[in-house]
This record gives sequence, structure tokens and C-alpha cells, in this order.
Amino acid sequence: MSPLHRRSLVQRGAAIGAGIASVRGGHLFAQTPVAEPPSGDPIRIGASVSTSGPNGRTGLYQQEAYKLWEAQKNAAGGLLGRPVEFVIYDDQSDPTTGARLYEKLITEDEVDLVLGPYASGVTQAVAQVTEQYGMPLLVAGASANSIWDSGFSMVFGVYSVAGDYFKDIITNIALEQGYTTAAVIYEDAVFPMSTGEGAVKWCGEAGIEVVHEESYPQKATDVSTLLTKIRDLNPDMLIGGSYLPDSVLIHRQAKDLSLECKLYTYSVGAAQPDFVETLGADADYVLGPSMWEPEVETPGNKEFFDAYVEMFDREPDYHAATGYAGCQILEQALTNVGEIDLEALAEELFSLEIENILPGGYKVDETGKQVGHIPLTVQWQDGEKVIVAPTDIATGEIMLPTPPWDER
Amino acid sequence: MDFLQIVVSGILLGGVYALFATGLNLIFGVMKIINLGHGELMMLGAYITFFLFTEAGVNPLLSIPLTAAVVGIFGFLLQFALVERVVGQPIINSLLLTFGLSTLMMGVALNLWTSNYRSVNYTALSGSWHLGEVAISKGRAVAFLISLLVTGGMWLFLNRSTFGKAIRATSEHPQVAQLCGIDIRKVRYVTFGLGSAMAAVAGALISIIFTISPEMGRMFIGKGFAIIVLGGLGSYVGALLGAIVLGVGETVTAYFTSTQLSEGVAYLILLLVLVVRPAGFFGKAED
Repeated sequence: MSPLHRRSLVQRGAAIGAGIASVRGGHLFAQTPVAEPPSGDPIRIGASVSTSGPNGRTGLYQQEAYKLWEAQKNAAGGLLGRPVEFVIYDDQSDPTTGARLYEKLITEDEVDLVLGPYASGVTQAVAQVTEQYGMPLLVAGASANSIWDSGFSMVFGVYSVAGDYFKDIITNIALEQGYTTAAVIYEDAVFPMSTGEGAVKWCGEAGIEVVHEESYPQKATDVSTLLTKIRDLNPDMLIGGSYLPDSVLIHRQAKDLSLECKLYTYSVGAAQPDFVETLGADADYVLGPSMWEPEVETPGNKEFFDAYVEMFDREPDYHAATGYAGCQILEQALTNVGEIDLEALAEELFSLEIENILPGGYKVDETGKQVGHIPLTVQWQDGEKVIVAPTDIATGEIMLPTPPWDER
Repeated sequence: MDFLQIVVSGILLGGVYALFATGLNLIFGVMKIINLGHGELMMLGAYITFFLFTEAGVNPLLSIPLTAAVVGIFGFLLQFALVERVVGQPIINSLLLTFGLSTLMMGVALNLWTSNYRSVNYTALSGSWHLGEVAISKGRAVAFLISLLVTGGMWLFLNRSTFGKAIRATSEHPQVAQLCGIDIRKVRYVTFGLGSAMAAVAGALISIIFTISPEMGRMFIGKGFAIIVLGGLGSYVGALLGAIVLGVGETVTAYFTSTQLSEGVAYLILLLVLVVRPAGFFGKAED
């Protein structure tokens, strides 16, 4: 990262608080110290994000991050000197609707640029459309490996692929603890399957035996039989490729059935406050991958956190951070290109390497897959979320093995 | 030993299905209406329990009578204001009406409470009791017992009390019941209320043992329908038995094949019954 860029981030950080305060106060540019007000036609950026349906909860974070960035840009001089205007729809967590909305954004609304939707299923469908219209797509809310295995030429990852979510937990933490067996279960949707299949692959490389692997249907209300089968095999680890509701369901039913493992980990949920709110003390010891945490010391991170809380009256989770990082990357790439030229922008996104609020920054391989970002591993300890890996970012020591259910 | 565990889990699961399905069947028996909004009445019960617990700290088991009463009265009013108008009309009218109600209630709930998955974290009922190697989930065991109490109590009410007999009479032959001086309109109001209350109790129990969301009703209505077809449309005891069969059928299928396939058991049962014995266990074949 160049010193120049670091400085611009610091400046922006300073502008954020003032900018937001003035937006809320109603006099938009009164206190903004740095930039001249943007002028000319707005740059219109299209996106659809799930704010209703099963993924509505997490999708909302991403949508809010887009809005935060829009407000900040407009308060701080805009993009290429022009105002920024987001056109955002709700795809109701439905891939077909998502694809249709991006088609509408590009052909009817005639937006200048797009940013990615939330969740892998929707993104997979949307990428078909953006690719067809030659529109570069920054994937700010999805990570399934299959998106980058589909041969798209201008689809760029913002954070690590789902297949690597459990990499650190399996190849470092589990091996250090001397665990030798694992059960891997996952929901049969694009993203959870990617995380689960990735876990099986990493277990293979680490020499950990997968004693049971099984998928279960979306919206399953009962996984107790699946867990009964696993209880019989007595694995060291239970690895769940699951979204938040299933993570809660699996963990709760594991307790009900006295399924005793030394390590429990779930792909989504373990990093979300809802997980501990729902499960209480039972959430302790659970490990999970996180793409971002407020404590991470990346440029502009603290300012992002404060501005988000200021604007939306609640703390962001990592889905907000990845959305915001997507905006930052788009901004930098567009600034480097200097005009709205979609082909040049796609080229720039392939070669660009910059820091953003996510740990590890942005860097993609020749397929557009993210390789710079470093996922974190978090663990609940006494109701607090602690970063336990990688060690240079960790905020606490890992607590393993998990004690039996009745000895907590 | 494992197999025993599976069967026990299945029976406990069936208990909750039973509470849902018997209410559905009660309404069908009296009005010949498939209440497609039954799942949403259950969802309403689940959310009332959830908010009483999280906002006011009310024990989720103690709030059950209140939840049942609130949703029961709501059901009574629904019947009074809307459903009564389609009784005795072609079945498509009532299907459209209750489908509309279902979608409306779900939409309002999505707006008010978002699509978040939530659950009542009642720690006294998490974990399990052990009988040998069989783990009996505390939450499910209690839910099963309450289901049995409510369905059993309702059965006694229908068979012993005067009003219960009036409900059964209306179910069997509305014209004759009316000739005997039974106010069948009032019977219908009360029946819809009672059925709704039973759905609400099922919802309350589900909020303790599973996760809840505004869309939960849609997951259960298909199963509820399969159960009452299996047990026999309109037959109270049949629905109880059908529910246990479905619960065990699901867990056993999941054990020997996969959880994926077990979700299809309800529909397989539905198909088989319609082909082999359309009247179900205890239903009467139509003339």
C-alpha cells in the first residue's frame, strides 16, 4: 500500500464523523472540511440486496453499509467529483428475482456501475446477467467457490472463498489440539455446501478422518436423527456448514441428545451476536470463522465502525464490513481508471492490490477469486466474542477442549 | 439402542405434530374447511410466547394458557367476521379465503418482526434426561406431555361435555343438529376458536424446542395436511395416530437413508394413503 493511499484513508476517516453528523443535522456540507461539493450528473450504482426472506437479516447489514458509504462520499466530494446515487432493490433472498433485478438495473434504470447482492445463491444467478452485459461485479456479499469455478471473466471476490472458512480451524487449531476425527454436515445450498466440502478437503490434507459426512435440506426443522448417527461415531469435532438458524438448531439439538464433541464450529452464526443471544451460555466454546471484527486494526476500520453506529444505531457485523469494503475497492479502482470505462475497470480490478477495512486487504487471482483477505477465527468465551486466530490479530487464548454438556 | 433413540425422538416429535393436526382436523370436521391459515395461527402463538418471554420475562410454559386464550379469541373473531361467510360454499372459496388469510398474516408478521429466526432460550428445558443410553430431550418430552394433555383434554371435552357433544353432532350432521336445537353458528365460532387455540399452544411449544420465523407456518401446514389425510379427515383420534406415525416415519427414514429424504416422508404418506386407502385410518369414505 502506498503512503499516498494511507493518507487519503486517514483524511477520509477524519471526514466521516463530520460528514455523517452534518447529514443527520440536515445541513449537508456545512461542516465538511476537505472537499468541494460534488457536481454534475450523479454516478448511479445499482444493487439488489436481500432485506426480506430468510437472509433478510444479514442482507440488511450489507445494504446499510452501501448507504453509509453513499452518504460519506456525497459529503466528501463524491466520486470523480460527481455525486453518488445508489439504486437498491430487495430480491427477497430469491436468486431468480435477483437476476431479474440486475437485468432491470442495467437495461431499464441504466445504472453506470453495479455492486454485488447478498448470499451466494443470488450472486451466482446475478453474475450470469452482469457478465452478459459486460458489467464488472464486485462480490461484496458472497463467497461460494462455485462462483469462481463458473468461468466468469469479470467477477471479483471481496473476501475469502467459502471453501477456506474452516481451513485455519482444521489445519492449525485441530492439529495443535491433537484431534483426529470429524463429522461434517451441511445444508444443501450453494454456500453451506462450499464450506462443508471445503472442510472435508482440509480434513483430508490435515490427515483428520471424516467419520460422517451428510447434507440436510434447507429449512430443516429437525436434525436430531442426523446427530444421533454422529453421536454413535463419537468424533472429536462437529463441523457444520450452516447459516445462522441451522447453526442454532444443530447446537441446541446436540445438547438435547448429549452429543459430546471437543470442538464445535459452524460457518455462519458463530460470529453473530444473535447466536449468543439465542443460545446463552451454551454458545460458549463454539468456534467460527469471521471475515472481519471491529477490533481489527486496518486503515479506516474504527472510523467505519463509529460512523455505522452513528448512522444506524446498532453495531455492524462482518456482512456490513464486507459490503463497505466492496465500496472501498470499487472507489479505488474507479479513481485509478479516472472515468467510467467498464473494460478498463475490469482490468484494474484484476491488477489492483489495496488495503481496505477487512484484514489482509484486496488481491485477486486470475479467475477473480479473492486471495488477499485473511479470515479470522472467533470463539465465544463467557458470552464474549474473542478472536483466537490468526495469532497476530488474536485478542485472547483459545479455550479447548469443550467440556461435556452437564459439566458447564 | 440407537434405533430406540430414533423411535423415541420420533414419538416426541409426533406429539407436537399431533397438537397442530388435531386442531386442523377439528375445524375441518365441523366446517368442512381446510384452514390454510392454521400454520400462521401457530406462528402467532409462537411469537406471543417469544415476546412475553423476552420482553416481560414470563415463563414460556406458564404463558401457554394466556397465549391460547388470545389466539383462541382471535380465531373466534376470524370465524365471526370472515370464515362464516364461506361455510357450505364450494371448497375453492374457503381455500382462497384461508390462503389469503395465511399470506396476509405472514406478510404482516414479516413486516412487524422481520424474517429473523428466533427462539425462546428457556434454559430449564435445555439438555436431556437419560434412560440407559437413550437421551430424552427435556424440551421435547415436556412439549409431548403438554400436547397429550391438551389433545386428551379436548377429547374429553368433545365426548363428555354438552357443548362438546354439540360440536360432534354438528360435525356429523349439521342439519339434524340444528333441528335438535343446537345453535350451529355458535358451534362453528367456538370450534374455530378452539382449533386456533390448539395451534397457538403448538406454536408456543415449538418456540421452546425449535427456531421460529414468520414463515414457519408454511413448513408445518403441508405436514399437518398429510397427517389428517392419513388419520382420516375429521377424525380426532386418527389425527393423533397419524401424527405419531409421521414423526417416527421421519426419524426412521432419516436414520436409514438421509435427513434429505425424511422431509419428503409426509408427502409420500399423502400419496400412498390417497392411492391405497383414501379414507385414512378412521375416516369415513365419501358416498
